[in-house]
Amino acid sequence: MNSSNADLERRQRFDRLVSVWHRDMYRYAAWLSRDPSIAEDVVQEALLRAWKSLDALREEEAAKQWVLTIVRRENARYFERKRLETVDIDNLTASQAAMLAESSDTDLDDVREAIYKLEDDYREPLVLQVLMGHSTKEIAELMGIKPGAVLTRLHRARNKLKDEVGEGAAT
Amino acid sequence: MSAAGTNMNCEQYKEAIAADPSESFDGGALHSAECSSCNVLKAEMRALDARIATALAIDVPELAMPELPPVTAEEKIVDLASRRPGKFTTPVWLALAASVVLATVIGVRMINPDIWDGRGTLAEQVIAHLDHEPRALTVTDVAVSDRKLYSVVRPAIATMDRDVGLITYARSCEIDGMEVPHLVMQGEKGPITILLMPKEMVDMPISLDGKSIEGVILPVGKGSIAIIGERGERMNEVETRVIDSVKWSI
Repeated sequence: MNSSNADLERRQRFDRLVSVWHRDMYRYAAWLSRDPSIAEDVVQEALLRAWKSLDALREEEAAKQWVLTIVRRENARYFERKRLETVDIDNLTASQAAMLAESSDTDLDDVREAIYKLEDDYREPLVLQVLMGHSTKEIAELMGIKPGAVLTRLHRARNKLKDEVGEGAAT
Repeated sequence: MSAAGTNMNCEQYKEAIAADPSESFDGGALHSAECSSCNVLKAEMRALDARIATALAIDVPELAMPELPPVTAEEKIVDLASRRPGKFTTPVWLALAASVVLATVIGVRMINPDIWDGRGTLAEQVIAHLDHEPRALTVTDVAVSDRKLYSVVRPAIATMDRDVGLITYARSCEIDGMEVPHLVMQGEKGPITILLMPKEMVDMPISLDGKSIEGVILPVGKGSIAIIGERGERMNEVETRVIDSVKWSI
């Protein structure tokens, strides 16, 4: 295979990866950072890093965990660089507030705000389990904690949400 | 309530169902089938999860693809193809009681001597270092002591979470003129070499690709970490664990 064909195949592989996973990358970044504009920056950086290190991804079935790991690292780097203050729910920036923009569904707004207010340690495993469909083992590997700690954080997260928004009804 | 015949009581079930409303945990389905109050709790948790899932699914803006720079082969891959498993196995390894030494990461020096003419790139120095200490690659379940580990991963260099895995070798080494903790952790396929290089910045991950081994030098803060294991090892998971367990002090 000549180099231009190899480059084309590489680019096609990357485009496939992005088309499948960029929504998850963005939502994960948004819930990690709690700021859509930061999430967009993080995803941009993560895509660049994924592009440069694409050859390190050897098994396509590992792609989701791989891209989310990159997002997680880029998010950490972003906050390391910016040293942002803790989010104050009563004094959100316009970008942060956009995540909590009111919809026509009051219950949805309440649940979203309750999730937004969860501590990072509780919110992240919840996002990975509910939104990404990760197993406890996969969450533990991604977050670098023990499976038991993941389960503890998940049950505390749900109990906090239950206290905050009640049982409600499934939509 | 009656939970006769199950291995789980209601308190255990309440914690477990809040952590995993799919009820995939052992004994869960059996318990909720026999306990009406826990069955109600399960339905509540699943209803709550449906609301959480809806709330988490925020709108995704149109993707703005960044400009992708050309990536040259030199940037991406350091070829270890000349590495030949078993080339320099020695009887002394076999004499190690209750342990076996994997003879996979050896032999560069004689097979590819030209890279030893100077200090070479960081990747070359990392590869070279693996050959320097072949005894490190022992398959064993004997962990190094905390005292040994933390005398190598000194607080002045970095902190490292011991939960990263079974660390069976730790030694302070020198790469590019700097002190580098050299660790070996036992992986699923064999020993995994880890070099913590707090002052060696790299711009992007550098893949190390060989016939029987693979690895990467990852940028981490102002330094980098080299992680090299047997081919087939789930390196992405290992990398995540290692990265998350190490914090530079420098």
